[in-house]
Amino acid sequence: MKLKIENLTKEYNGKKVLDIENLVIEQGTLTAIIGANGAGKTTLINIIGRLDSQTTGKVSYMDHDLIKTNPRAAMTLVFQNPYLISTTVEKNIAYPLKLRGWSRFDIEERINQLTEELGLEKLRKRKVWKLSGGEIQKVALARALSFKPELLLLDEPTANIDPTTTGEIERMLAKINEEEGTGIILVTHNLPQAKRVCNKLIFLNKGELVEEGNCLEILKNPANGLTRQFIEGELLV
Amino acid sequence: MNEISTGIAQALNLIFAGDAEIFEIIGLSLYVSFSSVFISTWLGMPLGILLGTHNFKGKGIIIRITYTFMSLPPVIAGLTVFLILMRRGPLGGFQLNYTPTAMIIAQICLVTPIVMGLTYNIVKEKAPIVNRLAITLGASRFDAMKLLIFEMRIGLTAAVVSGFGRAISEVGAVMIVGGNIKGKTRVMTTYITELKTMGDYSRAIAVGIVLLIIAFIINAVLYNFQEREGK
Repeated sequence: MKLKIENLTKEYNGKKVLDIENLVIEQGTLTAIIGANGAGKTTLINIIGRLDSQTTGKVSYMDHDLIKTNPRAAMTLVFQNPYLISTTVEKNIAYPLKLRGWSRFDIEERINQLTEELGLEKLRKRKVWKLSGGEIQKVALARALSFKPELLLLDEPTANIDPTTTGEIERMLAKINEEEGTGIILVTHNLPQAKRVCNKLIFLNKGELVEEGNCLEILKNPANGLTRQFIEGELLV
Repeated sequence: MNEISTGIAQALNLIFAGDAEIFEIIGLSLYVSFSSVFISTWLGMPLGILLGTHNFKGKGIIIRITYTFMSLPPVIAGLTVFLILMRRGPLGGFQLNYTPTAMIIAQICLVTPIVMGLTYNIVKEKAPIVNRLAITLGASRFDAMKLLIFEMRIGLTAAVVSGFGRAISEVGAVMIVGGNIKGKTRVMTTYITELKTMGDYSRAIAVGIVLLIIAFIINAVLYNFQEREGK
């Protein structure tokens, strides 16, 4: 996976909310995007995930312009409050696979694997409206991972989740990144989480890219004053 | 009170004794209502979905007109259909007035806006979320539409049942275009009106109870469906 962003801007009603000159995310990285509210984090991953379109600039994935090609087969998004199809857990996980014409046997096998890895075995037949917040997030993650996307975009997936479930999700992200090479872009406010999980960090402020680089290095020694302020402010909380 | 208790007893008698006239009236009521609801569903649902998923010039006016027609007085619908179908009217050549077909047409005019308006409301609420999900999971436009309809199944069923409620309980329009002709266009509601005029309150209540039982069965089916689907 190689994601390249060039001269990207996004405006809402004439107001610029995103302005990124140049950003490259290499294959297989686990990238955290951090920044205060209104920094443009969600707008950025929505543009990458083609849920939103840029005002100007270019976003290319594997050297293909995202506007001209449809990369949906290769990437997916999971939101802070994911929407589950109003049916059972296993049917949610199976849905993207059915769209891609997987056989019943392969679907069953994939559901077995994901439910086991995410501790959802006992919930397979459960209707989704009977799930807790953490379970919902795990089902959304299992569904997103079902078709083995090359790039997974996550928008604060553990914001309202208990620490145990957060840990399970983090371990799962690290595992698929390591074993399957899935590229992950994680929008988070949780700096310890970014430190635990990610190897690359991007700091946005008021729509602009302030700093990017190795996650641990930036968190330890931020080169930019704004990044430092943000990190220190977050750590005080 | 006496009429009510007699009516209840008579209702049971009418049902279990197999009163031919009453069964014929029930049969026609159901035929007219189901036919009009079936056609209205095929008209109103796609229009409601189209309205909810597309933006175009004049959409606001169409929504306002739809909402207005949701509470269209049946007598106005009946009168309009009657005038169109009357011998000297634009469709007079078909000679449909005082036939069940005219009654179905009048009810379609009443039920379609209800199905369309309620469908639009559900689509407006669900479509953005479901489409967003469909995009993220790589669904085609067709698959996204299928998913949207699946996600709206309970609301759409409720819209159809609301339309059926309007159709089965409606009296003004079917009276005007049907004429309450015995053995031909007499349905439960027009029969109740006639029985009341004739002072046969017990039988009017009995037919009313049968009407209520039918409404209860339809709603019970919907309730079971909703319970099964967990909402």
